[in-house]
Amino acid sequence: MLRRGNLFWIWIAALVVMIAIGLYTAFTIFSQGLAVTNMSDAVPWGVWIVLDLSCIGLGAGAFTISAITYILGRKQYQSLARVAVFVGLLGYSGALMALIMDIGRPDRFWHGWVYWNNHSMLWEVTMCITLYFSVLLLEVFPLVVEHPFFNRWGWLQNLAHRIHHFAPILAIIGLCLSLLHQSSLGATYGVVIGRSALWRSTMPLLFIVSAAAVGMAFTVHLTLIVQWFKQKEIVPTSVLFEIGQIAGGVLLFYLYMRFWDTTAGTYGYVPGRSEAENVLINGEFAVNFWAWEMILGGVVAAALLIRARMTQSVSALLVGSGLAMAGLVVNRWHTTLLAFTQPLSENPPVTLPAAAPYTPALTEWLTVLGVISILALLFSLGMRFLPAYNPQSAIPEVEAHA
Amino acid sequence: MSTDQATDTSQETQTPNTRPMTRREFLLLIGGLGVGVVAADQIWRWFMAINDPHAQAEHGPVEGPYWAMAIDLQTCIGCERCVHACQATNDTAEGHLWNVLLQDDETFSKPVFITRPCMHCEHAPCVDVCPVQATYHREDGLVAMDYDRCIGCRYCMVACPYGVRVFNWEDNAGENPSAPTWGTPEIPRRPRGVVEKCTFCAHRLDAAEERGLTPGKDRAATPACCNICPTEARVFGDLKDPDSPVSKALQGRQAVVLRSELGTNPRVFYLLPTEDEV
Repeated sequence: MLRRGNLFWIWIAALVVMIAIGLYTAFTIFSQGLAVTNMSDAVPWGVWIVLDLSCIGLGAGAFTISAITYILGRKQYQSLARVAVFVGLLGYSGALMALIMDIGRPDRFWHGWVYWNNHSMLWEVTMCITLYFSVLLLEVFPLVVEHPFFNRWGWLQNLAHRIHHFAPILAIIGLCLSLLHQSSLGATYGVVIGRSALWRSTMPLLFIVSAAAVGMAFTVHLTLIVQWFKQKEIVPTSVLFEIGQIAGGVLLFYLYMRFWDTTAGTYGYVPGRSEAENVLINGEFAVNFWAWEMILGGVVAAALLIRARMTQSVSALLVGSGLAMAGLVVNRWHTTLLAFTQPLSENPPVTLPAAAPYTPALTEWLTVLGVISILALLFSLGMRFLPAYNPQSAIPEVEAHA
Repeated sequence: MSTDQATDTSQETQTPNTRPMTRREFLLLIGGLGVGVVAADQIWRWFMAINDPHAQAEHGPVEGPYWAMAIDLQTCIGCERCVHACQATNDTAEGHLWNVLLQDDETFSKPVFITRPCMHCEHAPCVDVCPVQATYHREDGLVAMDYDRCIGCRYCMVACPYGVRVFNWEDNAGENPSAPTWGTPEIPRRPRGVVEKCTFCAHRLDAAEERGLTPGKDRAATPACCNICPTEARVFGDLKDPDSPVSKALQGRQAVVLRSELGTNPRVFYLLPTEDEV
């Protein structure tokens, strides 16, 4: 137990170092501009957008598990829902951090709120993400002020208690907002008529279904890791198996949709689309596509997640959910960068250069690691110190206030 | 609190509102909802009206002149003067071009040069996707940028089918490589972190009326790229005026717009090369 305890503080120290490096790099970016990245006019979006999409996709467990718990009234999942809203809050924080670095004018981050363009998918995403972020804050707030430290401010805990009464309402609002923005993130790409690799109406559906599946799996994954560290249960194992199985089923449904989307989309010749598909299936992206998106992060992950409950195998659950997570991240990478491998129009050419290769610069990687480290630090501290995740030391279970 | 069912029953016995709704209440509810929807709609319209200083893509046919450009692929010699004149006039940074020269060896029986400004699409994908309406349709239908509003998200660059947009990755602090040889800067430099693009030299168009000039005909009111062209391959003007240079250039020639299958309806027309001459 002592060695495990030391491990925790070594982990925290490592994270603090990574955060310091990330903050320094972020500072150079804010002071020198985005010229220090490897993005260009031909590849205007890079690894930060992938980070943003991944954070939001992996944070989707918050809305799915909350919906199951509070709307469908399956109170046995409440302990997992509490992990999920915490993971969700961190995921959306990560997305906001990635976006604030990515936009050229971080000082104008508030413009989306003031100058509306309701035709823009990105405007809709901005509104929904910030609103949903507030919902997540309200959902996590009672879990934080449960800590004995806040006992000195009784009114705070009263407020938290009142907010917790509205858990089902918050779950409904969260569900609506997530159904909007998880899919409109896909539509952000799907409506780009000028890039035939992107322009497809299935994009929003693929995004929300994959996020729903993998968000749940990711919450299960993190819970398993935390439980291993603590060597005690914070969520009943049966709950993890059940949610894992649901995630596996939804992932299978996603693969089915993806199969037909790809198959039906290959008929005819559309310049740029066929070439992009070739990059994905046979070309530069093929190894990652087949290994991570389709086989390991797709079929294998779904099979492991579904079978884990039948065989009561925790390791299958751990590996399956981890692979699903990798599959989602790789998918978001491909979605963001595939279109930029193709010229907008070959015949006649309309741009110079036609298309550009992109590998993230060190600055981009270090800031990505910095953001992930901030999230990991907050997650670790939360799991360690918040009563909700330490059932034995916790104040009595706050029961469902229906 | 032991089971859900117990909670439900206790609630039913406690709450007084379990009797069915009366007709009066129902009608009041429906009426109230209706009034609410109408009010919400009015508030929404009012909000969008005050929030929408830039004319939106939905506005009807453009009143006044229809600005257009014709680029003759037959007479363009690929001298790049329009590229330099654009850079000088609009004061863009090194390698940061609003107007580019491309070569197409495959489409026609002979190699042709294609110079590409902004298409100023009627159905502009960039205008649709900008989250803050920093790019918008002006009253005259041209696609413009509000550099004070742009947040630099670069979604318009992802969305533009013609790749005309450039981002200010860093401050434009260096010397203009094309000025003063090819022209004099006429508009202020844009700050770091915003997207910019060809304006059809809108600052010249806007000054034309009070100076009594006709864009396309009078040089001071015509885009710099058209003025400098040594072979008059690039011409500008009002498509509604049959005597404008652009209308005349289009007469009797086959013209195309780029990527017409997208339905963007560009204002830049390319006159196809003819087979008989060089």
